[in-house]
Amino acid sequence: MTDLEISRAWIVDPASEREGPGEIVVRGGVLEGLTWLTGSGADGVTADGVVIAPGFIDLHTHLREPGNEDAETIATGLAAAAHGGFTTVCAMPNTTPAVDERSVLDANRVAAILTGSPVQLLSVGAVTVGRAGTQLAALGELADGGVVGFSDDGSPVRSATILRSALAYAGALGLPIVDHPEDGTLTEGAEANDGFVATVLGLHGWPVAAEASAVGRDLAVLADVIRDEPGARLHLTHLSTAEALDLVRRAKAAGLPVTCDVTPHHLALTDEWVAGARRWAWDASGDPWADDARVAPPYATATRVNPPLRSPQDAAACLAALLDGTADAIATDHAPHTEVDKAVEYGLAANGISGIETALGLVLAAVDAGRLPLRTAIGALTVGPASVIGAAATVSAGFEIGAAADLVVFDRSDRWTVSPRSLLSKGKNSPLVGMDLPGRVLVTFAGGRLAYEAPEA
Amino acid sequence: MSLAADPGTDAVEAMVPSVDVAPETQPVGWRHRHLLDVDGLSTSDLDLVMRTTDAMREVLTRPIAKVPALRGRQVTILFYEASTRTRVSFEVAAKNLSADVVNIAAASSSVTKGESLVDTVRTVEALGAHMLVIRHSVSGAPYLAAETFGGSVLNGGDGWHAHPTQALLDLYTMRERLGGSVAGRKIVILGDLLHSRVARSNIWTLTAAGADLWLCGPATLVRGFEAWAGRGAAAGRRFHVTTDVDEALRDADVVMALRIQRERMASGLLPSMREYAARYGLTRTRLAGAKPGALVMHPGPMNEGVEIAADVAAGAQSVITDQVTNGVAVRMALLYLLAGTHGSGGAGASST
Repeated sequence: MTDLEISRAWIVDPASEREGPGEIVVRGGVLEGLTWLTGSGADGVTADGVVIAPGFIDLHTHLREPGNEDAETIATGLAAAAHGGFTTVCAMPNTTPAVDERSVLDANRVAAILTGSPVQLLSVGAVTVGRAGTQLAALGELADGGVVGFSDDGSPVRSATILRSALAYAGALGLPIVDHPEDGTLTEGAEANDGFVATVLGLHGWPVAAEASAVGRDLAVLADVIRDEPGARLHLTHLSTAEALDLVRRAKAAGLPVTCDVTPHHLALTDEWVAGARRWAWDASGDPWADDARVAPPYATATRVNPPLRSPQDAAACLAALLDGTADAIATDHAPHTEVDKAVEYGLAANGISGIETALGLVLAAVDAGRLPLRTAIGALTVGPASVIGAAATVSAGFEIGAAADLVVFDRSDRWTVSPRSLLSKGKNSPLVGMDLPGRVLVTFAGGRLAYEAPEA
Repeated sequence: MSLAADPGTDAVEAMVPSVDVAPETQPVGWRHRHLLDVDGLSTSDLDLVMRTTDAMREVLTRPIAKVPALRGRQVTILFYEASTRTRVSFEVAAKNLSADVVNIAAASSSVTKGESLVDTVRTVEALGAHMLVIRHSVSGAPYLAAETFGGSVLNGGDGWHAHPTQALLDLYTMRERLGGSVAGRKIVILGDLLHSRVARSNIWTLTAAGADLWLCGPATLVRGFEAWAGRGAAAGRRFHVTTDVDEALRDADVVMALRIQRERMASGLLPSMREYAARYGLTRTRLAGAKPGALVMHPGPMNEGVEIAADVAAGAQSVITDQVTNGVAVRMALLYLLAGTHGSGGAGASST
């Protein structure tokens, strides 16, 4: 299918900061027309039904290929992305082997083409060889090969000296360093957010300070680097704490070239979920025992993630950061894992949530609850991430008439049930399994081709 | 874990003592299929456990301390952590009820060959286990076992999280020695709260029973509990946290010392065993600050001379050996109650 006509839908165009009733026409894969409706033609079209938005861009996706194809392949990961409304994903380099040299990068690109998926695969290169934290990876060659940034994600860039070198070297190449901020000396053995829930459940606490101190270090190093290399840029990924977001807020105000993202699960879920609660962050009290909010068994390993699900206050801070622009993007940190790695004791389970298909639903839950304007939410999934990687890649974050259609159509009034069957990712490790989410994706067009179409009900 | 359907106390009372017969033949009013934690036990659940333990204590005084209640049932004791007293206590309890007992120590099983907990539990069930007692070093592991196991799972201690039978035997011992109730009594738990599953379970049972509970230890080892105390206060389950041992012990009715492990020095939480003993050790001098005749307890195993002085542990106020004896009776009671929830044709079949 390369043709699509939708009349009378709610169109959100973050690039032009416009939203309202409209219609679109796609022919032969090309977006031929976008018409904003006015007057009686717009009657009855609201933001609560069918919505059309530019295709989403994920800054932080784990595809597991090469090396761990049991958990995900490029093919299944891109299919899952399309189901989630994403038309561009930035694959993290923590594969086996890591994306620390050109041959691995090129092999991934070939693998993506062979899947036949129209979803655009972009790659984040490793900062250091083998992500071991000691020797810089082939940053220049990787840049020539088209990476959109560098990250040792999964581990932080351990040494401040390496970080300083990487920021300068990548800065000269016009690319950001994407850091996973975590002070490992505070998180050895950590299992759940250091707080009331972890205390009661007897889980090793994962302190807020581990993230905040790493962000503080990264920002100090960045400030040092930009004196010599003004092109240096730092992107902090999956920030989860009010403290770390405050540091970024102040750094941005001071003019440092830093950007950051938050994940859907950190803004919508809390550590109450580890105890068995299944209520949204904005409905949480932090004490699921007192409110009798525990509806599932505790210690579900699908809730184990790095950084951990935090307090309701931290989740609120993630939303506030999107509202005031401190957070530039929503990134999924899609981390598929096998049953073997998750059907184990909580403390032994792999960290990560399979999240690229539930991202839109979680964000829309926040929108439905009045915590996030729809346009801000869509902006954080499109123009926001595009601005982070825009210098490095051609990514479309708006509706371009005459260009290949790249868009998602979803129905806010239609809920769908998250289940191992409904997730196209190989990773069924979602704490949302069994729950209904708003905003079923009806159609995803990527690069002028149909990437996903909802099965007939 | 809804407690709303708890039967009235009076209705239950008449039915408890018949521990000589299989539990499923009589509706005893116990509704929990597993015992994974004590956070979901209501006060009437606690009363039922205490009364059933009374009945088991009576069994233990008989010339032949054995009843046929669990004849034909297989109880598997699966311990992933070294333990002598808890493992043996469960074994004796199960045998006193005429159950068949299978002991699996993780070190000698296929666990060391990398078999997952889920596979081990499936195997244990296939070998005929009706009830599974599990101890594990990772918090929450019994919940994983319960997800897989078809019978009842009894938590014999998991990580830092819970040690339900210990808390229940502690409560039983205190009630017995304090005239039937701990309500309003000042009870102090002294030592390494952070790493203690015994303390966590005691918080739930003792606050449910209305005790004036105090937790005391060095700042590094009571971390996080102040927030819990604050939350508990909101839910009417108040307790106190202090680093001041004299304040904690003042006029206390019960002092329970917790084991201090050497690893705490290596991880930078304590300067030395010597300093701990000097500042927090339960000595005769410190104990003098408590009420005359205050009970001295310890869940064991003890480091005498560190968290508790040898003369205090062996002194007249110590009820540490009572704890061990009562442990058998409490575990008999719990095995009995849980067996009633999934027996053939039983009256109390239930979930949770």
